[in-house]
Amino acid sequence: MSAVLFDKQLIIVTGKGGVGKSSVAAALALLASGSGKRTLLVEVNAPDRASALLELPPFGDDVGLVGPNLWAVNLRPEQAMREYGLMILKFERLYQAVFENRVARHFMRFVPSLAELTLLGKLLFHMKETLPSGERRFEKIVVDAPATGHALTFLSVPEVILNTVPPGALADSASWMRALLVDATRTAPVLVSLPEDMPINETLELATALKSRVSMRPQAVVLNAAVPARFDAAELQSLAHAPALQDSARVHQVWAAQSADAAKRLAALELPLITVPRLHLPNYGRAAIESLAGHLRPLVERPR
Amino acid sequence: MNALGEAARKANVLVCVGPGGVGKTTVAAALALRSALEGQGALVCTIDPAKRLANALGLEALGNAETLIDAGHLAKAGLSPKAPMRAMMLDMKRTWDELIEKRAQGEARQAILGNRFYQSLSTALAGSQEYIAMEKLCELRLQRDYPLIVLDTPPTAHALDFLDAPNRILDFLDQDAMKWVLTPALKAGKAGLKLFNLGGGFLTKQISKFIGTQTMEELAGFMVHMSGLYESFRERARQTRTLLEAPTTRFVLVTGPMPERTSEAARFLELLKEHRLHVAAVVVNRVHQAPDDKLLAQAEALGEPLKTKVLTTLREQTQLAAQDAKGVAWLKAHCGAVPIVEVPRFDLDVHDLQSLATTGRWLWGDPSRSGPAPH
Repeated sequence: MSAVLFDKQLIIVTGKGGVGKSSVAAALALLASGSGKRTLLVEVNAPDRASALLELPPFGDDVGLVGPNLWAVNLRPEQAMREYGLMILKFERLYQAVFENRVARHFMRFVPSLAELTLLGKLLFHMKETLPSGERRFEKIVVDAPATGHALTFLSVPEVILNTVPPGALADSASWMRALLVDATRTAPVLVSLPEDMPINETLELATALKSRVSMRPQAVVLNAAVPARFDAAELQSLAHAPALQDSARVHQVWAAQSADAAKRLAALELPLITVPRLHLPNYGRAAIESLAGHLRPLVERPR
Repeated sequence: MNALGEAARKANVLVCVGPGGVGKTTVAAALALRSALEGQGALVCTIDPAKRLANALGLEALGNAETLIDAGHLAKAGLSPKAPMRAMMLDMKRTWDELIEKRAQGEARQAILGNRFYQSLSTALAGSQEYIAMEKLCELRLQRDYPLIVLDTPPTAHALDFLDAPNRILDFLDQDAMKWVLTPALKAGKAGLKLFNLGGGFLTKQISKFIGTQTMEELAGFMVHMSGLYESFRERARQTRTLLEAPTTRFVLVTGPMPERTSEAARFLELLKEHRLHVAAVVVNRVHQAPDDKLLAQAEALGEPLKTKVLTTLREQTQLAAQDAKGVAWLKAHCGAVPIVEVPRFDLDVHDLQSLATTGRWLWGDPSRSGPAPH
């Protein structure tokens, strides 16, 4: 497997709700920072998800150092809107006059997707930040993106704006954002799925929708919580004298078969596929994320 | 029969809410099927384009119209409902279009349907999917006479989106704000909505720095046309509110046993209570069941390599069940008096009629009759 995420600056982790997006994002951030890259882990309006998995305090509104080479931030729409407002209006007083006016706030809220645009703008701004030396401030940005439907809405915001809004400041912002998102040399969507029917369907649909609606090509798929095959037919047969045991073994094999089928269906995407076996740990915390990171390593690190 | 079964029999609307990825659509369909089997005709209105659910119900796909599930198809699975079951899938765009066509007349109708902002309102605006689900529910309740409607809801990123949806649409049409912004435009007449060139106030100038003058003009134009619908939207919001608060409307909060789902569910439950809505039950879906303790001793008697394989399998299954039990216990501690109904995880995804019927029996607290074994 080639390390498809090795040289990508922005990794966007998405998938159906409950498939383990935050875990995968946290694990990828650990890997990148562990390999010495200045890494930023981004949560979108969910301060306590990835942080709880990493056994860290909730991430704040401002970028903060949370580990060696690892920074984290929680993006909130209100905060992003405020920063965007200040950037354009330049003065706090002016900002307050406009944004604290009831009518103006009302109006701004209904400009389609303005909140999402500012959120995306803040995220992509971190891609462009540089250090005094001229190097990029963050070599790797890992986003724990919203679930499928919301992620598509989020990522298609520049597209929607460009189609809705006439040329002007807003359209200009949307335009540079879209350019960054569709740049496959810098940006890599990663899809997370589970070995069950609905999540797999959704993953396949999401891959298509990303391409057709936002011209983004997913670059890797993670099949989470897969069950490895364990019993062959003869072994199952030999348990016939103990029906309850046979039942347990049979259930295991049903799940394993589902996992194999899921892997086969995902293979149709012709993307690097990582299958992560289901973890059996008493608590799902940092140890689990580190174990997950071990499985994801081939995506991020080039073999020496 | 458990509390959920009782509630389902007395209710005429069940609203299934909860985080995404927990099997809400399946639970909604199972509740409708169960009601039909027990003699209360039911319609399930889903949001997901759940093709396999449609196939299980003997349909090619679910459409925007209520479709009767063929009794012959149900009979093939050994199911003989005492009342009809119907199913439909909500098509957002079409429902929005129908709504506008019904409420707006002539020129305004064309102006709205053709407006770029309408396109994004009906497909992309946060909360608009939630709103249209409520709208459809209201229409079905008021215009049809199904004994029971089971509504599946969109997986909400934020529970509030759902409960607030009617208010947000009203906000959008808020007349006070509208008057402020639009007065110059209205004075200028519809021919030229150059409101921000009419000496444009300080405020409008600042706003247009963000979104551009032309955008503001177009949006204002859209709002002028939409504002004519304010009264009918307000009336509908009131009806929706009344319907949701009615004692015959019950909420079913569906969740999974994993910690991130249970905490979301608890937050959702708080909100439902704050809004004084009636919660029939919290359904914990797909709970792993622990294998019997005696099985470990039995497995010890096996020869290798089978023994290790079976022991590993039993230990894994015990651990999964223990984790889920922790989740259920946490929920019990956080849900007060609201009944909790557990549905076990079955071998396979629930996508055939029999599994749907079995799920329905568990939901009603009557899992005794035969069906696929839970695990």
